[in-house]
Amino acid sequence: MSAETQQPLYPTTGEPISTIARRAKAGLWTLIVLDVSGTLALIISYTYLWSLNVNDGWAPPGADLTYDQTNALPAKSDATFAVEWPFWAILGIVILATLAMWFGYKEIKRGNHAGLIIGTGLALVITIAGLVAQWIQITTFPFGSGNGAYASAVLLLCASNIFHFGMLTFLLLGIFNRARKGLINKAVHFQAQLMSYWMVWICIAFLLGAICTTFFVESPNTDPAIFGSFTQKS
Amino acid sequence: MSTTDVRPTGQPDEPEAPTNRPPSMHRVKMWIRRPYARWIMVLTVLIGFLLMPLAWLLLAAMNQTGAPASEVMKDIEQTVFVFTMVSIPITAFVFAVLVYSLLGWKHVSGDTPPEDESPAIRSNTIGVVLWTVVSSVLAFFLVVWGLAELAQITANSYGTIPADEQPEDKQALIVNVTGQQWVWTFEYPQYDGLTTETLYLAKDRPVYFNVTSKDVIHNFWAVELGVKIDANPGAITQTGVTPNKTGTFNVRCAELCGMHHAYMETAIQVLEPKAFNSWAREMGGGKTS
Amino acid sequence: MSTATATANVFGTEVPQPKQHGKPGGIMRRLNFGTGLIGGIGLATVAGLVTNALTPSGASTATFAPAAPEYVYLAVLLGWVIGFMAGIGAFIGPIRWVLGRDLTHADAEYMAGKDLGWKRYFKFTTDHKVVGIQYLVMTMVILGFGGLLAMLIRTELGVTWAEVFSPSFYNSLIGTHGIAMIIGMIIVVMGPIANFIVPIMIGARDMAFPRLNALSFWLLFVAAICLISSLFMGGVQDGWSVYYPLGAQAPPGMLGYQMTIIVFALSTGVASVNLMVTILTMRAKGMTWSRTPLLVFGVFASALMGLYAFPFYQYSQILALSDRIFNTSFFDPLEGGSVWLYENLFWLLGHPEVYVIIIPSAAVLMEIIPVFYRKPLFSFNFAVAGIVGVVALSGLVWAHHMYMTGWAPAVNYPFMLSTEMISIPVGFLVLVVIGTMWRGVVWTRLPVMAVYAVIFNKMIGGVTGIYLSDVPVDQYMHGSMFVVAHFHYMLMGAGLFGAMAGVAFYFPKMTGRMLDERTGSIGLWTAFIGFQITFGSMFVAGLQGQPRRVLQFDNLFNISNWISTIGAYTIGIGMLIFLGAIISSWMYGDKASSNPWGSKSLEWQTPTPVPLENFEVLPVVTERPYDYGVPDPYQKELDAVDGDLEKVGK
Repeated sequence: MSAETQQPLYPTTGEPISTIARRAKAGLWTLIVLDVSGTLALIISYTYLWSLNVNDGWAPPGADLTYDQTNALPAKSDATFAVEWPFWAILGIVILATLAMWFGYKEIKRGNHAGLIIGTGLALVITIAGLVAQWIQITTFPFGSGNGAYASAVLLLCASNIFHFGMLTFLLLGIFNRARKGLINKAVHFQAQLMSYWMVWICIAFLLGAICTTFFVESPNTDPAIFGSFTQKS
Repeated sequence: MSTTDVRPTGQPDEPEAPTNRPPSMHRVKMWIRRPYARWIMVLTVLIGFLLMPLAWLLLAAMNQTGAPASEVMKDIEQTVFVFTMVSIPITAFVFAVLVYSLLGWKHVSGDTPPEDESPAIRSNTIGVVLWTVVSSVLAFFLVVWGLAELAQITANSYGTIPADEQPEDKQALIVNVTGQQWVWTFEYPQYDGLTTETLYLAKDRPVYFNVTSKDVIHNFWAVELGVKIDANPGAITQTGVTPNKTGTFNVRCAELCGMHHAYMETAIQVLEPKAFNSWAREMGGGKTS
Repeated sequence: MSTATATANVFGTEVPQPKQHGKPGGIMRRLNFGTGLIGGIGLATVAGLVTNALTPSGASTATFAPAAPEYVYLAVLLGWVIGFMAGIGAFIGPIRWVLGRDLTHADAEYMAGKDLGWKRYFKFTTDHKVVGIQYLVMTMVILGFGGLLAMLIRTELGVTWAEVFSPSFYNSLIGTHGIAMIIGMIIVVMGPIANFIVPIMIGARDMAFPRLNALSFWLLFVAAICLISSLFMGGVQDGWSVYYPLGAQAPPGMLGYQMTIIVFALSTGVASVNLMVTILTMRAKGMTWSRTPLLVFGVFASALMGLYAFPFYQYSQILALSDRIFNTSFFDPLEGGSVWLYENLFWLLGHPEVYVIIIPSAAVLMEIIPVFYRKPLFSFNFAVAGIVGVVALSGLVWAHHMYMTGWAPAVNYPFMLSTEMISIPVGFLVLVVIGTMWRGVVWTRLPVMAVYAVIFNKMIGGVTGIYLSDVPVDQYMHGSMFVVAHFHYMLMGAGLFGAMAGVAFYFPKMTGRMLDERTGSIGLWTAFIGFQITFGSMFVAGLQGQPRRVLQFDNLFNISNWISTIGAYTIGIGMLIFLGAIISSWMYGDKASSNPWGSKSLEWQTPTPVPLENFEVLPVVTERPYDYGVPDPYQKELDAVDGDLEKVGK
């Protein structure tokens, strides 16, 4: 196989970088499918429990509701629904980080190495800020894990967000370091491209969570069966 | 049979357009003349007949303890019978091919790969189309049968009427079924909340079951009556049936519910209506509705 | 590129290399199974001790079990998983990536096990052939373990006059048997055969992501140990499906199950990514889709279904873990949770998973039959259509496992429709098999004789599935032994016997020896006969009304259970004989030539043992697969008649 002298070759297998890039891109799509399924599992959990309101246990016990909540358990706490704007703020942070990463990718496509470093560095810093913000949100929720189905679902969604932030931090650290070392450059930049694509999916994942916690808050089923009895609530 | 299709052409003695294929029936006749074709058809019919008794055997196994004791169960048995019969043609054909491939067509043994002798048939449009059509038609039949039957059984089982909307039908009996580890309890709200551990029903009287659980998921299975529904904690599920036979039948739990799941059984007593009423009175359940 | 000036000869080309840090392989030279064990056991011990010290002994969780064992056990499990993977070097790759210390060709060769001899099977080795053998051994261990449990289960059910085991031990027997067999069946073809054979079959040197390959195997090992550990903490007492809230009552062993699934789902997810990308992007030049063998399609389909479906199972266990440890209430109806949520999440995986098991097994048959009938595969396109149809419908049928839950009665109608429809593409695969047998001269060797067993079992399994797909009939059959017999016919009768055919077929290429066919056949057919007895009788028990997962029952069911137990012991004997044949042939069997079956497929054109790089020169494919056979003699008869209407016989 003659080496294409214009294109660099992958050191371990000797294949042209474009082949490796295509392969990695296919891998990225499959990884996205994996993460989509996982995120969907959480979204389904949230929305299904919201729609069922089993035993009137969806809303936190102290929440202000438009109907009479008759829960088999007495309301022991003042736990309420979470404030909505932080979800969107954190989404905004993720979007900013994504834009920074895209900027870096676009710059290295044009050959501007400095732009790549700025972009990936910014993305890394913003992501760490997002990680901290998400952690603060989790620790300041007006409910605990034992306060009903809404609380459980939101906590797991935010745990998934933290996991995504952690993964992003690690990946961006790598991208930034490799950018610094020149391993991502005008000739070989598929990793920056894939990182940008991945971060777009992450934005979507965060968006789905924000939509749930904003538009699917109070359950529409105000008439659930009560645990242990044979009548509906009414 | 004379040649047909005299197509208008420029030259009157041109051979028939577009091809010179013999009519389809002839190709079928030629195919049937092949020995394997006839053998496989014979084998299919033979195996089919050998399989047919299964339909009755399946029913015999189901009926060992007094089933069918309701229209629902009878419908189920009829479906099992029909589905068996409908599945037999394709199954018999597949088995016939398996048998004939060992007994009819050649086989060789040995350590080295044999010379290529088999016909290199990559595809056979007729075969593929026939199989697709037959299997689709059969599947379609099964689906339509199943959908119609499900609708009918649902209507007979009152399966979608929630507990607080069940009509004040003097005829219908309402039984609230509670499963808990590892006991079934039956409550008769129309009889002063009479509660028992054996299920008493009246012959020919429709019964609504409202089923729930106090702890884990159980499954209320009235075996010979052919009804089954999960007993879920935190929810009420419904089913219903009209027993049409007196006798003693079984309730079994059909969802693993812990250590003594195997023992979570009880009996159903279907009595004549008068006997049922006197039983209820004896148990202290004055009729309240 | 970098300033490194070193180059290496990579398959004939001089390729610039990054800086070589240390000897080839770097720190991987010192990491192996032993260091993995040290890391795993070490970190598990430390984590357990620390957690034990930190956890107040009187603390309670939402469950019935005391808290301290829960937290400590969870810490031990996490410590084991992370410690072992660190110890065997799984994190070295990502760390090197972050640091910018890319692998050189020499590094890659080292990691592929070049010149390491038998040691490469005990390291984080990336060569797909090594991973395939590792999977083969692991699978046999897991299936053997599951089989042993099955013998115990059948003993309990056969001894109808006494309780051999306590109810809770029996429950954990069936639960562990179930999950061990499910895991074993998922990997039985996708592990050994997909890993070892598929890259060679498509004319590639290795998989797309060799390090992910090694990762998927060692994650499986770690998961299997988690499952074993659960046996010591009370076992998996709630069936392999672990419905909640029953699962919440389980002893701490449940945590072991949850970690097993979380890690196993990661293993299969990673393996799916690897297989799919390999098949999509690394087929040889000239291997268009219509020249790609069926096994590749089957493996791809299975990987795809596993990819979209496994996360649901994984997350169901994560949520369950959260309910148990963090007192959330996803599945606790007392506090807003729903049992139906668990069932939906579980069956969203649970159903595609059976196709993940059965499709590769069916695809293996389609590789075997052309070779032993010396005939092309009948209707290649129809086979592909069948596989595509199954994949397309696989995600639309899950709630047929939930007909009787009452979760949404109206929804039973569309699910019945989709479930009965999926029998059609499955039927396509059967037609392709019998169409290939049609008029074929069969070379009666073990791999192809096993196909008869598979098709027989598949028809019975398929037809009984049709009964179950009908909601009213399911109203009788759900939760009874009829269901158990049905899925054993499909997963074991068709799935396992198909995998056995595949192992017999690929044995010469994978091990370099010929499988002793006489012993293997005796084992296989003994198991087959035992299988019919066991599960045929089990159908009867189900029809008579015996529920599943019970250890004692009415006298009515005694006879069917005695017969089933006798059949089960027969299966056990047969499987042991077959296993014995595998082991003794592996060690002492006749050396195999490189192509003992005379196959025209690419993987048989390599020497045995297959060299590290598979091919010296990557092949170029110019022909359709399954190019066997001679022109059809009857065609001459048809051709002779064409064009001569007088011969038509008017």
